[in-house]
Amino acid sequence: MSLILHRADAPILLAPAGDPTAAVAALESGADAIYVGLKGWSRGGAKGELTSEELQEVLSVAHARSRRVRVALNTIPRRAERRYLLGRVAELIGWGIDGVIVNDPGLLAELRARYPALCITASIGCAAMNEADVAFYRDLGADAVVLPGTLSLDELRAIAQVPDVMTEVMIHMVEEFILLGKCWMPSYYRLNPTPLAEVHGEGNRLVGSMKRGGAGVCFKVCEQPWGLYLDGQQVTKRLLPSRQISPINDLSDVLDAGVDVVKLQGRSLSSTLLARLVGRYRASIDAWVDGKAAPAFEEFQLEPSWTVARR
Amino acid sequence: MTRSFELNTTISNLRDLKASDLSPYDAIYLGNITCRLYEANLLEHPDDLREAIAVVKGQGKRAYVTSYAAPRNDFLPKLRKALAVAVEAGIDAVEVHNLGVLKIVHETHPGLPVHIGGLANVYTDAGAEVLKRFGAMRITPNYELSLEEIGQIQRQVGLPMELLVHGKMPLGISDYCFLLEYEEAWGIKCPDLCQQDLFLKQGDWAMKSIGKGVLSGRDVCMFEHLPQLVAEGHDCFRIEAVSESPAYRLEVGRVYREALKRAVAGMNGMEEGWWNTLRSHARIGLCNGFYFGKSGMEYLGVRPEAVASAVRRPGADAI
Repeated sequence: MSLILHRADAPILLAPAGDPTAAVAALESGADAIYVGLKGWSRGGAKGELTSEELQEVLSVAHARSRRVRVALNTIPRRAERRYLLGRVAELIGWGIDGVIVNDPGLLAELRARYPALCITASIGCAAMNEADVAFYRDLGADAVVLPGTLSLDELRAIAQVPDVMTEVMIHMVEEFILLGKCWMPSYYRLNPTPLAEVHGEGNRLVGSMKRGGAGVCFKVCEQPWGLYLDGQQVTKRLLPSRQISPINDLSDVLDAGVDVVKLQGRSLSSTLLARLVGRYRASIDAWVDGKAAPAFEEFQLEPSWTVARR
Repeated sequence: MTRSFELNTTISNLRDLKASDLSPYDAIYLGNITCRLYEANLLEHPDDLREAIAVVKGQGKRAYVTSYAAPRNDFLPKLRKALAVAVEAGIDAVEVHNLGVLKIVHETHPGLPVHIGGLANVYTDAGAEVLKRFGAMRITPNYELSLEEIGQIQRQVGLPMELLVHGKMPLGISDYCFLLEYEEAWGIKCPDLCQQDLFLKQGDWAMKSIGKGVLSGRDVCMFEHLPQLVAEGHDCFRIEAVSESPAYRLEVGRVYREALKRAVAGMNGMEEGWWNTLRSHARIGLCNGFYFGKSGMEYLGVRPEAVASAVRRPGADAI
C-alpha cells in the first residue's frame, strides 16, 4: 500500500483547483497538495476540469514547489470506458501524477491490481460513513478514504484508528440534503446520453447522472423550491436543506482526532476566493503543528458560495 | 418444467407484517433501511425481528433481513445484534446497501447469503465482481442502470440481478430528516411524520418524502415489459412497497404474481383489470425508471395514459 502522500508528523492540506490559475493560487497560499479533475472523467462540472495540457502544466508547477497533485477520475466509467481509462492512467503516471481519486470499488480494485505503487483515494462519492466502510476500501486497495465533514469528533477519532489507511476529511464542504454518492434525483428528471469522443464506440456521457455524467451534469434540483404536500394539500414551499460546513475554529479538535488529510471542497472556486480559503486553513494547521493557539476567524459560518460558485 | 421466479417485497415493522397478506410473495425483506427511528423498525427490535422471521417462514416464504443504507459508527453494534438474531432465527439472506456492512457480514457470518441492495451503488461488472468476492449471491444494481447494462453485468459476473418491477424507487437518502422541522406546526411527531402522505412537487416533477430520503413520485411499473424481463433471463423481482399500504402490497403483488406466471409460461395477454388495479394505486402515475436508458420518470409502453395518475382525491390538488 503506497503512503506517498503522508507527510510525517503533520496533516496534509489538500486543496481543490479547477484550472491552472487556481492551482497556483492554492499552492502559493499553502496547500501541501491539490486535487484536479481530468476533463470528461470527473464529477463536478466543466468549470472544474483540466485538459491534458493543463494537467501537465499544473504538475510542473506543483512539483517545482515539491507539492503533490491528485487527479479525480471519479465518474463511474462503463466497461468500454474503463478499458480506455485504465490505459490512460499509465500515461498520467508517466506525466508524474501523485495519485488518483475514484468513486467505484470495481475501478479501485482494477487500478490497484494494475498499478501497485499508485496512490489511490476512495472518493467522497463512495459514501464511507463508518470505520467498517474505511476498512473495506483499505482492503480493496485504497491508500486514503474521504469522509464527510459532518462526522463527529468521536467518529473521526474511531475511524482514524483504522490501521494502514489515511483518514481524509472533507472539512470544508456543502452538506447537501442527499448524501454525496447516494443521489440520482437529477437523472430521474433529465438524462441525456452524449457521445464521449475519446472512447470509440460505446463511450457516452450520461448528462444528468451525478455518478456517470462527467462535466456539468447536476442541475441542482435540490436548490429549486419545492411545494411540500401533506395529504394532497400544499402546506409550504421550501428548498431542500443544505448548509456550509467549515469548522475552522474547531480544526485543532479535528486534527487531535488523528485526521491525516484536511480536504477542501471547491473546484469551481475563483482563484481569489480559493487563496483566502486555503490561507485560513494553512494558518490554522501550522498553528496546531507548532502547538500554538489557532487564529480566530470571524466568519466561521461561511456561505455555500465559499465552496461552489453560483450558490 | 415451469421456470420458477421470486417475487418479493419489503416490510419495515411487525405491525405492517401482520397487517399484510403475503400470499403473492415468495420472500420478504424485513426492516427499514433509512432510519433507526422508523416506527418499530425490525432492525432495532430483536424480539420483533425474531417473531417476524417466524411469521414469514411459517407461511412458507423466504425471510431476508435488510440493513441500513448509510450507517454511522453508532449504528453498527445494533446492526451486529440484528444480524446475530436473524441468523439464529434462520434468516435466508441479508440485504446489504453499505460496503462496510458487507465486510462485517463477510467476516462475522461467512456462510450467510448476501443480496446487494440498490443503494450499494453497483454500476459495473467490475464493482459486482468485487462484491461477489465478499459473498454477494444476488445483486440489485443501482437504479440508474438500463436493462442493457444490467444484462451485461449479469452475463459477465454470473450473478442473478434482482429488479424493481413496481413501486417508488429511491432517488436518494439523507442523514437528516427535514420533516422534524414540522412537528410543532403539524402536531405530528416522529415516528408518525414520515408515514404521512407527503410529496414534494415542482411543476410536473414530484417525489415522495420519507423523511431521511426521497422516492420517485411515479411508481416504477414494468408490467407491460415482464415478458421481456423473463426472456432476458431475469427471475428475481421486487415490489417496492415500504411506504405503501397493506392493500397496495397485496393488490399490486397479486397482479404481478399472475402476470409473471403467464410470462414464464410464455403466454401473452394481460387482463384489463390488472392494469386498472395498478393505475388505481399510482398517486402520481407510472414510469419505467431507467430501464430503457431514459430519464427515470419517463414511461415507454403501449399505455401512454399510464403517465397520468388515475387517482383523484376529493378536494386535493391534482398532483
